[in-house]
Amino acid sequence: MKILVCVKQVPDMSSRFAPDGAGTWFAEADLAHRINEYDECAIEQAIQLKEQLGGAPEVTALSIGPARVGEALRKALAMGCDRAVQVDEPQPSRLDPWQVASIVAAHACAVGYDLVLTGMQSQDRGSGQVGVLVAEQLGIQAVTTAVSFEHADGAVTVRRELEGGARARVRVRLPAVVTCQLGLNVPRYPTLPNIMKAKKKPLDVVPAASLLSAEPLARTARFFAPSRRTGQVMEGPVDQLVDRLVALLGEKAGAKRQERT
Amino acid sequence: MDATREIYWNVGRGVIAPMYAVALAAAAVFAWGLRQRLRVWRLGAPEARLQPWGARLAGAARAVLGQGTVLRALLPGSAHALLLWSFLLLFAGTLLVMAQADLTAPLLGVTFLRGGFYRAYSLALDVAGLVAVGAVAVLLARRLALRGRLETRAADLAVLAALLAILLTGFATEAVRIAATELRDAPDLARASPVGRLLALPLAGWDGGALRALHRALWWGHLLLAAAALAAIPFTKLRHVVVTPAGLFAGDRRPRGALATLDLEAEGVERFGAATVGDLSWKDLLDADACTGCQRCQDRCPAHASGKPLSPMRLVRQVGEAARAGGAGAALVAEIGADAIWSCTTCYACQDGCPAGVEHVGKVLALRRNLALMEGAFPGEEVRTAADHVEVNGNPFGFDHAARGDWAKELGVPVVAPGEAAGVEVLYFAGCQASFDRRAREVAKSFVRICRAAGVSVGVLGKEERCCGEPLRKLGNEYLYQQAARANIEAIRARAPRRIVTTCPHCLQSLGFDYRDLGLEVEVEHHSTFVERLVAEGRLKLAPGALEVTYHDPCQLGRYRGVYDAPRRLLGAAGATVVEMARSRRDAACCGAGGGRMLAEERLGTRINAARVEMARETGAPVIAAACPFCLSMLEDGIKAAGEGERMVARDVAEIVAERLGG
Repeated sequence: MKILVCVKQVPDMSSRFAPDGAGTWFAEADLAHRINEYDECAIEQAIQLKEQLGGAPEVTALSIGPARVGEALRKALAMGCDRAVQVDEPQPSRLDPWQVASIVAAHACAVGYDLVLTGMQSQDRGSGQVGVLVAEQLGIQAVTTAVSFEHADGAVTVRRELEGGARARVRVRLPAVVTCQLGLNVPRYPTLPNIMKAKKKPLDVVPAASLLSAEPLARTARFFAPSRRTGQVMEGPVDQLVDRLVALLGEKAGAKRQERT
Repeated sequence: MDATREIYWNVGRGVIAPMYAVALAAAAVFAWGLRQRLRVWRLGAPEARLQPWGARLAGAARAVLGQGTVLRALLPGSAHALLLWSFLLLFAGTLLVMAQADLTAPLLGVTFLRGGFYRAYSLALDVAGLVAVGAVAVLLARRLALRGRLETRAADLAVLAALLAILLTGFATEAVRIAATELRDAPDLARASPVGRLLALPLAGWDGGALRALHRALWWGHLLLAAAALAAIPFTKLRHVVVTPAGLFAGDRRPRGALATLDLEAEGVERFGAATVGDLSWKDLLDADACTGCQRCQDRCPAHASGKPLSPMRLVRQVGEAARAGGAGAALVAEIGADAIWSCTTCYACQDGCPAGVEHVGKVLALRRNLALMEGAFPGEEVRTAADHVEVNGNPFGFDHAARGDWAKELGVPVVAPGEAAGVEVLYFAGCQASFDRRAREVAKSFVRICRAAGVSVGVLGKEERCCGEPLRKLGNEYLYQQAARANIEAIRARAPRRIVTTCPHCLQSLGFDYRDLGLEVEVEHHSTFVERLVAEGRLKLAPGALEVTYHDPCQLGRYRGVYDAPRRLLGAAGATVVEMARSRRDAACCGAGGGRMLAEERLGTRINAARVEMARETGAPVIAAACPFCLSMLEDGIKAAGEGERMVARDVAEIVAERLGG
């Protein structure tokens, strides 16, 4: 059994983001990076499955980006992945989700994975498309937003999170793509011996050009900070305040006053 | 007539052979027993603790004979010291008897226990015996009086009772001899043995034969008891008379708080920290035998006092019990409990107060290193998050690392570029708290204002500075600590500063001490000593303003570095009157934030900072001065929680000084 985990390295969300020169993405300067937290759950799920199956599956972690993504891959290896592939791309932000998916699909097609795990979305772009687009391009099933995961007899049973707190239970035969929601598991903290072992695990670097043939389907027009919305302090007699607040809620949130009988 | 006594009076020289046989048998049991203990110590890993033996011997002799640490607890300490000193005297007296009766007299015909020397000798031993009896009586009475508060096992009482029995049979033997001899033949000489004489007086009318029979019985009783006590040393708490001096000899001679810097890349090493008895060092196992259960560590432990499942004494004993029961492979965490291990604030109150030189903190850290490095464990999820933030953002709060120097920008403090440190007298390592915490930033600003007033140019590392790693190191995560340390060392080296000053004693520990193992050699100083020197040298002029304060000694500055006076002098120079808390200086109670606990929720027991704030409240001083951002934060929270916010305020010494700049 072969498992692929797609990992994105994202900036820490506490960073101060500023538009880059082209104004279509954020500038890289002064950013601290980490693994997209949804992808961390995907790594953990892959390792748990590997452990469940007695260590038989080979787990490969893949990330697209410049040399810095090697850090994210080393962490994935320290958590327990067996090998890693860095698809070398100096400016991954120029790729749209379709192109990202096509790179993953090209790699996956060549190797032949039984299961592809990834986060349901990334913390920075948040398109939520890559997982399903990988399945589309590979012609296999996709289950998104997994909050539980069980594997038995060549099929996985996944509980999905739906709108409004509802859940759905889905069973798919492998091969399949599963995208992971937060709370699926608690990603493990790598132990020191595993961190050291990870340094010796294979990390292949593949140029993006060798896997990328698709043209972009979407284009980022502009990157900008949302306009600052500040709070509003209302002052005055209480009865007037209530009326003003009700009016404001009706205007901003569509709330309606319910007449008391 | 020459003042002396017949050494084997009444019992005759015929007892020499059986007496030495008994003594030899006791010594053999003693040696065998000690060998058993030595075997247990050998289960531990090797650690170089024997060189330089001369200095170690001198240090151990000073500690044992001077009883310095023992005497820090006045009543039991005095009783113990007097007991030790008098027993040493009595032992020396016995050796003199042996030397004369069995060596110099039969071989050389020389006797020295005579005349004035004999009188003095006799008097000294009598007084020593009396003092020893008094001391044992006090210790026994204390054990009985403190039942419930002082953990007392039957063995504790038995040991004291045995000592009392040895002393009393000694006096009784002497009294009967005096009643049968000196009282009749040399009443003046009997006065050189006042205690023996006093006890002999009621026996004055007894028949000589009865006295002789009683004397023989007592003589043998005394001998057998003494021999039994010698034989019992390795098997009872009496073993501390051997093990404690040995432990003091093998004590840690490095600066307080020093930890072995692990070689994380070492080929073939796949175990870190202590999971089992065999992972600890032999000194750790010796410590378990040196412990007499005096409970001072437990009584001083902030975690124990606040109802957490940690007793440093129990931990040390559990190590010993695990070693004896399960050998080198015995698992430690299951025995001790992870909650106990994580509860320690590494405040060093236990170790600092231990008269037996037991090293509690090192054991806790060895256990934590195993939990952190081998199991990826943390005391709580929030700590894992904080560690994660340190790894990514260089601070435990998760703030943008690039914003680290923002506070300095507002003040126009220059960020020192590589190679440019020559331009500033001081490179200020602000630390995470002063960089990001709104409250602690006031300390950084105060320090900068002080430096400017004194004409000291200051620069900072800005976003090149990272968490120093100290809290993570104390939580056992040597890997993240070294990662943070190497990044800081690289940044500092590139700038080659003349001097680094920090307002955080935890940063001081890292930069000034721990980083040396990783190759940083630069003068690092805490702001309290640095500013105090500016005042002393006349560079900083203050306009003193009266203020009543109590000063909280940060563990990391006080017990770790021995800095007690500089902050107090500084407060004095600023016009403040320092009112001491019930526990101050070496005995200061921890605020609860040491040992990486700053990053952890306090879920077990009561709040450590609440206890400290209560001690401060009792002084009546409206200001608690501190010299550590962790303490400052804990004290401030404690004041708020106690509802004393109207009446008390916590301030860093730098803030108090910065308000009184003048001249």
